[in-house]
Amino acid sequence: MRVVVADDAVLLREGLARLLVEAGFEVAGLASDGSELLELVERARPDVAIVDIRMPPTHTDEGLQAAKQIRARWPRTGILVLSQHVHAGYALELLSAGTDGVGYLLKERVSDLAELAASVQRVGAGGSVLDPAVVSQLVSRRRQDDDPVTKLTGREREVLALMAEGRSNKAIAEQLFVSEYTVEKHVGNIFTTLRLPPSPDDHRRVLAVVAFLNAQ
Amino acid sequence: MRARLVELQASRARLVEATDAERRRIERDLHDGTQQRLVSIAMSLGLADAKLPAAGAEAKPIVAQTREELAAALAELRDLTQGIYPTILTERGLGAALDELCGRAAITAHLRLFLDGRLPAPVETAAYYVVSEALTNAAKHSRASAVRVAATCADGLLTVEIADDGVGGAGAGAGRGSGLRGLADRVDALGGRLTVSSPPGQGTTLRMELPCG
Repeated sequence: MRVVVADDAVLLREGLARLLVEAGFEVAGLASDGSELLELVERARPDVAIVDIRMPPTHTDEGLQAAKQIRARWPRTGILVLSQHVHAGYALELLSAGTDGVGYLLKERVSDLAELAASVQRVGAGGSVLDPAVVSQLVSRRRQDDDPVTKLTGREREVLALMAEGRSNKAIAEQLFVSEYTVEKHVGNIFTTLRLPPSPDDHRRVLAVVAFLNAQ
Repeated sequence: MRARLVELQASRARLVEATDAERRRIERDLHDGTQQRLVSIAMSLGLADAKLPAAGAEAKPIVAQTREELAAALAELRDLTQGIYPTILTERGLGAALDELCGRAAITAHLRLFLDGRLPAPVETAAYYVVSEALTNAAKHSRASAVRVAATCADGLLTVEIADDGVGGAGAGAGRGSGLRGLADRVDALGGRLTVSSPPGQGTTLRMELPCG
C-alpha cells in the first residue's frame, strides 16, 4: 500500500515515515504543509494520505482543509487525519461528506505500530477509523429529542457507547456481565433501529457509531 | 479626571489582550516543542517495542509501562494546553468552542446559542473562560443535576448566562470565588460586568454582559 505523510514537524514526519516503512507500507513522499500535500497527492497518487491537522501557514486546521480537498478531487484516496487534540466537531466535519476511507486519530496513537498499521490499512481499504477519545466525547454529549438514538433502549445505548469505544462483542459482554449472544442481539436491534443497510460487519459497526454521532 | 478614567480602562483592556497573546504563545510553544518531542519519543519507543526480540522478554513489561506513562503524560499535557488557550476558539469561534466545552463538561450542560458570526477575540476569550469556570464550579460544588448555558449577542451586547439547579449559596465557602474574581476583573477591564446570584437552595446563576462591537 502506498502512503504519503504531511506534517510540518520534521521530527514527526520522518519518524512517522520510518514507522510506516517498518510496518510494510511504501512511503511515496513527504509534505510539510497543505499545498505541498495537494501537489504530492496529485503526483504520487497514494492509497492513503496521513495528515497532521495543524500545519503552516496559519497553524490551525490546514490539514483538515487539505483533507477535504483531497476527498473532493481524489475520492479514492484514503485520508487519516492526525490531531494533537480531541476535537469531536472536526472529526464530524471530516466524516460528514462520507465515512468511506476516512480516519481521525489522536497523534500519539501512532506510537503503537500495530494500531497505526491497522488504521492505515482500514482507511486504505475504504473503511473508517475514529479515535476512542473522540468517540467518548461525542457519545457523552446531550442528545435532542428527535434523535433516532433516543429510540434505543438504555441497554442498547450502553452497548452502542461501548461499540463506539471500539470494543468487540466479547469485550462488551464481559463489561456488561451478559452473554455474547445477548450482545449480538442488542447489536442487531441497534442496526435495525438506526436503519443501517447490511454491509461487512466491522464497517457497519463504525457506521452505527457515526449515525449515532451525526444525529445530534 | 474623565480622560484619565478612559485611559485607565483602555490600558486594562490592553493588559487583558497582552495576557491572551502570552497564553496563545505558551500554547503554541508547548504544541510545537514539548508535545511534538514527546510524540516523537513515543514513536521511537513503539518502534523499539515492536523490534524487541522474544529473548528480550524481561524488557517487555518495562517498555510497556514506559509507554503507558508516556501516554498519560501526553494526555495531561493535552488538557493543560487546552486550558491555557483553547485552540478551537481561534479556529472556529465562540459557538463551536462552547459546544465542545459543554460536550465534555463533567456535568450535563444544555447549550443555547444566539450568535451571528465572530466576535472580537478578547470578548470570545472572556466568555469562554467564564463558561469554563462556571461549569467547573457547578460540577464541583453545586450538586446540580444539570446546567443551562445561553450565549446571546444582540444590539452590540454579548450576554452569557450559566444557570444550575443546585444548592446555591455560592460565595459562602472559602476559596470558592478566586477563579471568578479573576474573571470578573477580566470582564470589567473589557467594559462589561459579571454577576453571581446564588440564593441558598435555589441554584446558582452567573451572568456576564460584555459589549461586543
